Amino acid sequence: MSTPTPVVDHLLATADREWRALGINRSDRTTLSADLRAELEAAAADGFDPAQLVGADPAGFALRVAEEAGVGRTPPRYGQVLGAATAGALLAMVVGFLVVIGLHQILVALFDLPRGLHVPIWLAAAVFYGGVAAAAVTGAVLTVRIGLRDAPRIRHTAARMALLLPPAVAASIAAAVALGWSFDFPLTPVIMAAEAAIVLGGFLAATTLARRWSVRTAA
Amino acid sequence: MWRMIPAEEGPEAASERQAQLLRGCLDMCLLALLADEPAHGYELVRRLDTAGFGTVSYGTVYPLITRLHRLGLVANALQPSPNGPPRKVYRLTETGHERLRSWSEQWVHFAGVVNATIAVRPPKPGADHEHADAGR
Repeated sequence: MSTPTPVVDHLLATADREWRALGINRSDRTTLSADLRAELEAAAADGFDPAQLVGADPAGFALRVAEEAGVGRTPPRYGQVLGAATAGALLAMVVGFLVVIGLHQILVALFDLPRGLHVPIWLAAAVFYGGVAAAAVTGAVLTVRIGLRDAPRIRHTAARMALLLPPAVAASIAAAVALGWSFDFPLTPVIMAAEAAIVLGGFLAATTLARRWSVRTAA
Repeated sequence: MWRMIPAEEGPEAASERQAQLLRGCLDMCLLALLADEPAHGYELVRRLDTAGFGTVSYGTVYPLITRLHRLGLVANALQPSPNGPPRKVYRLTETGHERLRSWSEQWVHFAGVVNATIAVRPPKPGADHEHADAGR
């Protein structure tokens, strides 16, 4: 028989991963884990092998324990959330791009800037890309909120997305710009794909984090 | 067009059938075993074996105890152990005793109906319907 405590620790870690994946909140996980630990450690002290008791499928065992314990769980549905957010962001980005271009045309037609006024290029770029990014974030949040309205804790997720996405997207854009700047902004497919991947990565990471936050704090 | 499958049963099929039958009454049996004397989870596995159910895994028993505990039918208490940490011992609550009585009555009635249904009876003359399947 193996040493009890590491075996019990290993089994509980496996069970906890399963319970996390099921979206069981921390408080319930702590209770389930403490109960199971007491059982297995006592069993080990009485000469039973905890691994043999739990069986060959500790994750399945953890699932059955959670089901029978009736603990509250929130299915994370990461795939659906990420898909809806990405689709909403892409659509809103196109719309936002057209709106910003249109607004620019209207403003140019309506107003003449004083000759002495010099608008720095970085400010113009920030307003342009900032406007498009804001539209994309709004589109992502609204699509998740409305499109997945029947999913549990989705309002909470949308609120956390509204909180996390702006800084994440801003930081990602800054990182992408830094990458482009370091190569003197070449228009090569590799560099442009890398820049897009950085922004998309930041977006997806923030969305995942928002959903995870909601699921883990579910009561 | 369907064909009748011969009812050949190996040990695996018999074991699966046993598991199916047990699934519907294992919670009641656990209550009954705990009504005799409080026990910890893995002791219940041994008692089930001794009672004649064969090997019922701890992986089946522990989740069920968790459910019985959630329903308030069993309560647990820590019992000092000379071998190591205190052991969690389960005992029936008053509600558990009442539920066991109720389930037992239901089971006795149900088992009576099943027994009466499957009791071996001599076939009635002319009741052989094999010819009905002959053309299939």
